[in-house]
Amino acid sequence: MELLKEDQHISSYIIRSQEEEIKRIALELHEGVGQNLYSLYTGLQFIETGTDNPQMKSYIQEMERLMERTLQEIRFLTVELHPPALSLGLFPAVKSYAKLYTSTFGVIVELENNGVEKLLPEQGSIAMFRVCQEVLVNTAKHAEATKVKISFFWGEAAITIKIRDFGKGFNCTDTCPGNASGLAAIIERMYQAGGKCTISSKIGEGTIVDISLPFSKD
Amino acid sequence: MDQINDFLAIDDVCKSLMKEISCDFIGLALQDKNGLNIKWHYAIGNLNEKYRLITVRFGKGIAGKVISSGTPLMIDDFPNNVLGKPIEQPIMLAENLVSSYAVPLFFKGVPKGVLLIGNRETHSYTEDFQTSVKESAGNLEKILSDHIVS
Repeated sequence: MELLKEDQHISSYIIRSQEEEIKRIALELHEGVGQNLYSLYTGLQFIETGTDNPQMKSYIQEMERLMERTLQEIRFLTVELHPPALSLGLFPAVKSYAKLYTSTFGVIVELENNGVEKLLPEQGSIAMFRVCQEVLVNTAKHAEATKVKISFFWGEAAITIKIRDFGKGFNCTDTCPGNASGLAAIIERMYQAGGKCTISSKIGEGTIVDISLPFSKD
Repeated sequence: MDQINDFLAIDDVCKSLMKEISCDFIGLALQDKNGLNIKWHYAIGNLNEKYRLITVRFGKGIAGKVISSGTPLMIDDFPNNVLGKPIEQPIMLAENLVSSYAVPLFFKGVPKGVLLIGNRETHSYTEDFQTSVKESAGNLEKILSDHIVS
């Protein structure tokens, strides 16, 4: 029992360290690399106005376009690594990701927020967000669904999120969470965060993933 | 390009290509007139309407890679032997494709579009097959040339 607790503690520590590192890289890309590239971009625009040579002008414009593309890539990468909307709350972050998800995979996401959003500790909020992300990616990969419904329930003691896809579903006895690494990882991630996750599915009716996290008592 | 006006002409080209070659899906993606994003504007043999909602960035996904490189791209056994993660090929996931062959559409010498042929099983694309696809791509370039400003 003690060993199990120790294992859980180590896993939580590894996940927390990884998330902190991801956040640091995202911040460095946004505040450091991104800002420097933007300075170079405005510098190129300034050089362009100062040259009359058409060949040189065209070359500088080509470099500007490349710089624009690179800046856009940095912005996307930053958001992918650590969504800035998470600082506004879990629901806004999932809402923002849902928009990106629809334009990436063509799957429509319907969002519903029940109750009043409460501020979660950063680690809990990240864990819930990452699990939602993982569930949605799994849906895009395997479910053949065109629509997903995500419902938030802000209770007195816990936050519960229900993610339901309207896809092909699967047989829980064949693909039980223990056999599918993606599903097992989702359950483990919630467990590490101090929450719970249940997965139910029926062929032809889709899959429902319920995740919940209690609010800390302090 | 935001709207395809010559829908019927495009439909003709793609339907006759589908008759000529053995494929399950044909899609046409074009880069936005303003910006770098690429969208799927037309499809036949599609299982759903997801393609209409998918937007890929320049250099990303099959369409983005074909437009950024200006060269054809072939996938013969998705998701095996694919560079990167399967989720980086959303059109393959959305349409349950296992193999695909995509060629660029050039406008004023610049790649701005993609014609993608897909199959829902492994498929090897012969030289003749590739030539037919390229010919159809050429016809689409002519049809769309008036609407695309590079």
